[in-house]
Amino acid sequence: MAPSHFEAPTDVEAAIALLSRRPGARPLAGGTDLLVQLRLGAATPDLFVDLKRIPRLMATSLDSKGLTLGAAVPAAEIVENASIRSLWPGLVEATALIGSSQIQGRATWGGNLCNASPAADAVPAMIVCGAKIVLAGPGGEREVLIEDFTTGPGETLLERGELVVEFRVPAPAPRSADAYLRVTPRSEMDIAVVGVGVQLELDREGRVASARVALGAVAPTAVRADAAAEALVGSRLDDAALDRAAVAASTSASPIDDRRGTAAYRKSVVGVLTKRAARIAYERAQAR
Amino acid sequence: MTGTKRGSTGQIGARRKRVEDPRLLTGQGTFVDDIQLPGMLHLDFVRSTHAQARIAAIDTSEAAKCPGVVAVYTAEEIHGFVPLLPGPAELPGLRAPEHHVLANGHVRYVGEAVAAVVAEERYTARDAREAIRVDYEPLPAVTDMERALEADAPLVHEEFGSNLAFELPLGNETAAALEEADVVIQQRMLNQRVIPNTMETRGIVADYRRSDGQITVWLSTQAPHLIRSLLAELLDLPEHRLRVIAPDVGGGFGAKANLYGEEMLAVALAKQLGRPVKWIEERQEHMLATSHGRAQLAHVTLGAARDGTIRALELRILADMGAYPHIMTPLAPLQTAAVMTGCYRIPCARAEIQGVFTNTTAPDPYRGFGRAEAAYYLERAIDLLARRLDLDPIEVRRRNFIQPEEFPYSSPTGYVLESGDYEVCLRRALEKVDIGALRQQQGRLRSEGRYIGIGFASYVYRAGFPSLPKLPRTGFLKGGWESAWLRVDPMGKVTVLTGTSPHGQGLETSLAQIAADELDIDLEDVVVRHGDTASIPHGNGTMGSRSLAVGGSAVLLAAREVRHKALRLAAHHLGVEVDAVRLEAGRAFLPGHPERAISFADLADLSYSFLDLPDGMTPRLEASATFEPHNWNAPFGTHVCVVEVDVQTGEPKLLRYVAVDDCGRAVNPLIVEGQIHGGVAQGLGQALMETVVYDSEGQPLTVSFLEYATPTASDMPTLEVELTETPSPLNPLGARGVGESGTTGAPPALVNAVVDALAPFGVEHLDMPLLPERVWRVLHEAGAVR
Repeated sequence: MAPSHFEAPTDVEAAIALLSRRPGARPLAGGTDLLVQLRLGAATPDLFVDLKRIPRLMATSLDSKGLTLGAAVPAAEIVENASIRSLWPGLVEATALIGSSQIQGRATWGGNLCNASPAADAVPAMIVCGAKIVLAGPGGEREVLIEDFTTGPGETLLERGELVVEFRVPAPAPRSADAYLRVTPRSEMDIAVVGVGVQLELDREGRVASARVALGAVAPTAVRADAAAEALVGSRLDDAALDRAAVAASTSASPIDDRRGTAAYRKSVVGVLTKRAARIAYERAQAR
Repeated sequence: MTGTKRGSTGQIGARRKRVEDPRLLTGQGTFVDDIQLPGMLHLDFVRSTHAQARIAAIDTSEAAKCPGVVAVYTAEEIHGFVPLLPGPAELPGLRAPEHHVLANGHVRYVGEAVAAVVAEERYTARDAREAIRVDYEPLPAVTDMERALEADAPLVHEEFGSNLAFELPLGNETAAALEEADVVIQQRMLNQRVIPNTMETRGIVADYRRSDGQITVWLSTQAPHLIRSLLAELLDLPEHRLRVIAPDVGGGFGAKANLYGEEMLAVALAKQLGRPVKWIEERQEHMLATSHGRAQLAHVTLGAARDGTIRALELRILADMGAYPHIMTPLAPLQTAAVMTGCYRIPCARAEIQGVFTNTTAPDPYRGFGRAEAAYYLERAIDLLARRLDLDPIEVRRRNFIQPEEFPYSSPTGYVLESGDYEVCLRRALEKVDIGALRQQQGRLRSEGRYIGIGFASYVYRAGFPSLPKLPRTGFLKGGWESAWLRVDPMGKVTVLTGTSPHGQGLETSLAQIAADELDIDLEDVVVRHGDTASIPHGNGTMGSRSLAVGGSAVLLAAREVRHKALRLAAHHLGVEVDAVRLEAGRAFLPGHPERAISFADLADLSYSFLDLPDGMTPRLEASATFEPHNWNAPFGTHVCVVEVDVQTGEPKLLRYVAVDDCGRAVNPLIVEGQIHGGVAQGLGQALMETVVYDSEGQPLTVSFLEYATPTASDMPTLEVELTETPSPLNPLGARGVGESGTTGAPPALVNAVVDALAPFGVEHLDMPLLPERVWRVLHEAGAVR
């Protein structure tokens, strides 16, 4: 059943006030997950708080420190932004896999994150970029790392009355780059069976100076695979390092069997994708 | 062959853009849900959430109290004015269960209609639907055919004592031939259950006029006349006061060629309540309650000589009847048996068919109905044979092709193939893919650890059914004939009425081309109308790839008659013998005397003036015609699919897809290619990702597009389509069917390609859909990946 109330505040304070007032209030950005849940009876909000008229949530700003992006900016704007694309190609690859072209006109990073699906494509990619979010609530604002925000399927750190305001993605270091890969039965409009994000920073000799690896759809939330990342550090991405990273990624995955894939398949493929995403990130970093 | 003359306007064979598209693409189409009538009520259904259960009680009291609810119905309340649905076509020994419109105390599949609500608003009806309480006593269910035939399986229909609906052997003796064969291959192959997923779901508006008993029905259907006959017979309505309109229809794929319970109930309720009733199916309902496709399993046995000459083919087919088979459900495996020997000279062939009840939605026609299944089994079996004998699969096909001079060719299962030239399609396809270079590339890449596969499928099926002995149930399928009416208005513009009922096939364009070509006028001067039983006396609808070859031939015959009449009138007007006149480029004239001419428009105008007509000629340029094919025509072709399998993840990636298809004379090659494109996409959908999955309780797990994948444009490679034109001798157009070619060729081509790619790992067969994990698993088991 549709909620009985709909509000479209124009500033963050008003949104917080509305979200605090009713326990069943839900923020609405693109609605690409929420409206589906509503139809399936999986969500029963009594108030929609539309975020799209709040300028801060719709703003994009890029400077030498990095990107600040409103939580309600549609994916299509991100994907079509040439500067974002060249700085964080992996993050954009992941964003471009959300839904389809049409859905990307409405879908947002905020929604992809807050829906808290373990298979959300943008989330592993955000994690490896070191992205943070700003939460605003009745008690003020706080900054949280992406990997800390989701606590389980459908569960986040959001307190009552709190909402995700914006994303902050630090500018990539010199000689660093990211990549994201996933496996699905069809090329779009599908949910990742496995997703892997990798970010690598190289030293002047072409060795991996630092690495981040994050895995999607193989645990209750998107998770960092630090052991896999460490296996790459110091290497020039030789086969032995890649094999070690793949094994580490498989080991750190704790997938389940479901309709989309078995745990055995996911554990195997997460290693394959870790290697491949690392190779892509490495090539990109070399080219910088 | 009796080919058509080609007019100077050259319409036959022209790549004309579809005239219906501007309407459909700019939102100006009229679909059933666009029909709004004053006082219209909305119908909605409560559906079973159990695969098998006794209904202990249904409490409709809360729903009845919802404001805006007009009436609530269960089986009890409709008893007396809504009859049972027609049972399946009566095959020998077939056990037909009673099929109630609303479940009668017992449900047998998830999605079965249990109760109905009628309300002033659509959303009121939906809210009321949620307020109905059904008390189920769940019983064990069975959704798997092999399990259903086990002695201790739950019974779908207790009264039958088993789940076997019927058994039927077809064909001749194969035992001796298999005994003598040098090599025999055997393989169990699944042709999995799929959902048609028409873009427009089902829908109906029914309107009853009390003053004269007129009933008008707008229905998303492929066959308005057949539905009218069924409704008239079942609801005891006078057929002449029943008008069925198929407005713009967003796809059918065979699933809208049948009358459904929801539809019959809507008509009965419109009459009962005296107000228009609308029902629009939701997508989830479509996935549960519209007929499914395929759902067949076959044990394939193929025997051959050492040189690859095929001696015998045997199919043991299990065909899923669902819980309540529709009229055509049991005919699918018969279709499979009829064309099981495909393009090949196979002297011994036998099908042993078992129809099986399961606690599932009944399958029914689905693009390729029965014949696509046959092509899949055979084309896979030939690859298995080639592998076993270490022969080139191309050569095995060639060696066994029926040769052009052997037609008409009678197959051991009783189907007479009228004509064909299989070699020509195969040859063109091989040239197009450059098979020599491709195989070299395959070998080179294999040594680099990359796995390319090349898959072939040479298919033939049967299209445009002839009149069959009347099925002993209701008035369904009046015959294989088709009708056309053509009339020229006083300004010389032409209206064509067709008894086919296009719903995406582009027939408004291709049938207009046939008329324009014959009359030698501009395409813009012809309009084609269809799908209204009030203006079109009778027709048999659009299904089974019949509309162009059969319906188009009727249009051609009607246009020919009008052309002759126009020539006679012109001769009279010009004062010459009829043989002296020519009709060309929109005018009639005397060759060599350009001044002695009359335009087609003036001729048309003249035809309305009684006093200007020659003696004995009736006014107006118009004609009706019927065309009856005396056999099925046989579309054929060869598809070649090239894939690369990512052996680490199991993902098959399509590299190339070449389709060389022969539909005889192609009236509009652009539309023909579109049919191939759509069909190949749908066939690749089945091969790669589509499947209905049930859990152990019989719950379908694939009831939304979240869980049921259909391919999108981004999954398709560039399709390389080429047509060869081997005219069919069966109709004056020389046309064959084409609508089901893609879904027939694509699944075996794709699976053969993937299995070929995995040959180095000893993989011989994989069941569809080839989801990445399924491919990975077989590689994993072969030790190829960790």
